[in-house]
Amino acid sequence: MLETALGQFKVIDLSTHIAGPLAAKMFADYGSEVLKVEPAPVGDPARGVGPFFHDDPHPEKSLLFFYLNCNKRGVTLNLESAAGRKLLLELVKDADVLLESFPAGYLASLGLGYEDLEKVNPGLVVTSITPFGQFGPYRDYAGSDLVYYAMSGMMYSSGAHDREPLKHGHPQSFYMGGMIAAYATSAALFSRLMTGEGQHIDLSLQESVAAHHYDSATRYSYTGTIERRAPKVESGSFKGTKFEGIVPAADGFIAPTMQRGRPTAPFHEYVTFLGHPELDDSLFADRQMIAEHREELDEVLLPLLKEWKKLEYFNAFMSEGFVAGVVQTSEDLAKCPQLEERGYFAEIEHPVMGRLRVPGEMFRLPECPWSLRRAAPMLGEHNAEVYGGELGVSRGELVRLRELGAI
Amino acid sequence: MGKKGPLAGLRIIDSTTMVAMPMALHIMADMGAEVIKVETHTLFRTEAARLLYADNEPGDDPWNRDGSFNTLQRSKLGVTLNLKVAEGVQAFKELARISDVVVENNRAGTMKRLGLSYEDLKKEKPDLIYVSNTGFGHTGPWRTYAGIGRMFELTCGLSQFTGYPDEGPRRVGKSFFDQHVGWTAVFAILAALHYRQKTGKGQWLDLAMYQIGVATMGDALLDYEVNGRNGRLMGNRHPYHAPHGVYPCRGDDKWIAIGIENDGQWEALVEAMGSPAWALEERFADASSRLKNQDEIDELLSRWTVGWEHGELMEALQGVGIPSAAVMNSRDVLTNPHMRSRGFYERVEHRADSGIGPKIYFGRPWKMSKTPAKIRRPAPGLGEHNEFILGDLLGRDSGEIGRLYDINVLGKTPTDPPDFKPPSYQRQLEEGTLAGYDPDYAEIVGTEQDA
Repeated sequence: MLETALGQFKVIDLSTHIAGPLAAKMFADYGSEVLKVEPAPVGDPARGVGPFFHDDPHPEKSLLFFYLNCNKRGVTLNLESAAGRKLLLELVKDADVLLESFPAGYLASLGLGYEDLEKVNPGLVVTSITPFGQFGPYRDYAGSDLVYYAMSGMMYSSGAHDREPLKHGHPQSFYMGGMIAAYATSAALFSRLMTGEGQHIDLSLQESVAAHHYDSATRYSYTGTIERRAPKVESGSFKGTKFEGIVPAADGFIAPTMQRGRPTAPFHEYVTFLGHPELDDSLFADRQMIAEHREELDEVLLPLLKEWKKLEYFNAFMSEGFVAGVVQTSEDLAKCPQLEERGYFAEIEHPVMGRLRVPGEMFRLPECPWSLRRAAPMLGEHNAEVYGGELGVSRGELVRLRELGAI
Repeated sequence: MGKKGPLAGLRIIDSTTMVAMPMALHIMADMGAEVIKVETHTLFRTEAARLLYADNEPGDDPWNRDGSFNTLQRSKLGVTLNLKVAEGVQAFKELARISDVVVENNRAGTMKRLGLSYEDLKKEKPDLIYVSNTGFGHTGPWRTYAGIGRMFELTCGLSQFTGYPDEGPRRVGKSFFDQHVGWTAVFAILAALHYRQKTGKGQWLDLAMYQIGVATMGDALLDYEVNGRNGRLMGNRHPYHAPHGVYPCRGDDKWIAIGIENDGQWEALVEAMGSPAWALEERFADASSRLKNQDEIDELLSRWTVGWEHGELMEALQGVGIPSAAVMNSRDVLTNPHMRSRGFYERVEHRADSGIGPKIYFGRPWKMSKTPAKIRRPAPGLGEHNEFILGDLLGRDSGEIGRLYDINVLGKTPTDPPDFKPPSYQRQLEEGTLAGYDPDYAEIVGTEQDA
């Protein structure tokens, strides 16, 4: 078996929903031994979030939960009980990382704050993921994907000029937070090689989106200007629904441009590739003229683009060095020849859902690659193995803990 | 130790342009790694073309005054090496010999042609970690395709969800997945460093933007695999809960985002509105009926929100536990009391001779308790650290360094700068691209004091 990149780290994933579980998954995918510790008795609320296998809202059939928790083992634990807290402290003793996403201050109120955990294991890295961080006036504000987009500057400049600001239709803020939590945690582990000490990382999801929209703050600090949603599509712009924006193809949507390296290709060159070298370029001879004749350009090109199939356009133009985009559906991704050839997908058997094809390898480390080793855990699947087998809790004691509602 | 940051002791060569990799490496530099940006004065700094000149003045050296560039290159050292000249390539190799990581995002094949591929540099430094970032990776049928950040929302499947449902798919970010890729690159580089720590081995990382973007679509991909379903345009709505949207407030282009996610929050909202008769009707009583009738709720809710100032409404609603937020513009974000109190923004004093003065940059969305990160220095001016890197690090004497300037390996001014003109804010205000311009912005953001 190949040596893994991160197999030397034990991670306790106390987090729920998307961000923390994604961070823990990134460790698990590259070899770490990750134990997902779910709140007893119902587990990670993500088990109740769709999409579901065959649309059946069953706790073992959430595809979101499944995707984010593959490669982890899972136990349940009730931290509200003294016996549950004691078990967590046992687990923490030989762990390297603990990821958590409880409301700020909750773990401390149970005697499980960073200061408490540090005493048990000074090398532990604790990463806390919350909506607004561990301190500050909004600490206890309620967060959500919508809230973070609104409070980052990202939404204000997105969407149509005369309509309400717009966010992405899939909750990206949590994925941003997860990726950021993963690198920050790994950096703290790297630091531990020198210092021998763990530490506490306080991550804010709201700031994660604000960091993503970095040029908003820079723009104002540098120039005092505030960018609004663009009123019209300008040459070189990428908003809206006109040429250089997103336009209809025969079977979906594409984003065509005349950009072909630097500088932009002339109109005649572009329409030659489009299959219409005969088109009159007298209005579009250079970029300045194109900028002055945007509407005429749309009138000429949009009907022609609509005759192209989206992926045929994308492949034809990209392979000739043009810049093009295609609005891919989930089906397109599932059938994508690039992902297929790169070995992006892997298959695994799940006890309830059967065999599933799982995406995928985020990046290639040839010496120590990503691997899919186990399906997401069933609720409490490894209670006996972990508490009994590894912590040495007796069978009778396990029964008692179950009766107490600790696990 | 603490002051040095978690990545103190690492040296990284940054031979990258655009957004994703520069961002990854400024974060690593904030965390204490010594990151050396290798660029050349013989090509224009592409990132310095966003026309965000400090105080809207291109000045004598506009390539050093662009806010976007200065954000993405902060905390780094800078050297100009013309890699079209043998002496430039030689200096790059010597730098690799004393570095831990090399990161490049050139078109596949470019580094090989220069004699600076992984195979070449491994001979200089056997345990080198070498990252090649491209749009689609170095293998597969799409390997030659241009990896342009602004297209990845579409190609990675995010645009199938994004847009007003009555219109069509849209982009939201400017080059949205660049940042995801940057952050994942930091994780990937650290994973390779952890592996090197254990085994003593370096390796070559093939980092494709496309795969990182698609990794945020796992649930959507499985939904297709299992249920045969594709994404649909969501606007600002939630798949299961309503109301969930952005509603008008008092004033021009002021908005509040409100996202109800359970019955308790809905009841709190009804009470905050003063329990109007419409809100108590049976057809809004539970999640599924609210979801079904959400067009109507949105209309009625808007009539209430429009009487409010957006910041006050956010405080009122958050005060009773409702996920809500004023839609903030760049001024609101930069002056936000919460982020200010957390030290999210950092004030950077630029070199006196740059004429840029103090500016505010975003920090990082996390804090480490023992090895805090910070912006270590402003972005390097073109060729700013040539003497330090060629002299102190590579041991060239001043005569030799002078010769490298003479043969155009080193330089501090671009050989072929384009014509710089500041954008006209007046025109952009008139056409509506800009919502506002505050002449007194330095006072508003408090640039003069500590951020």
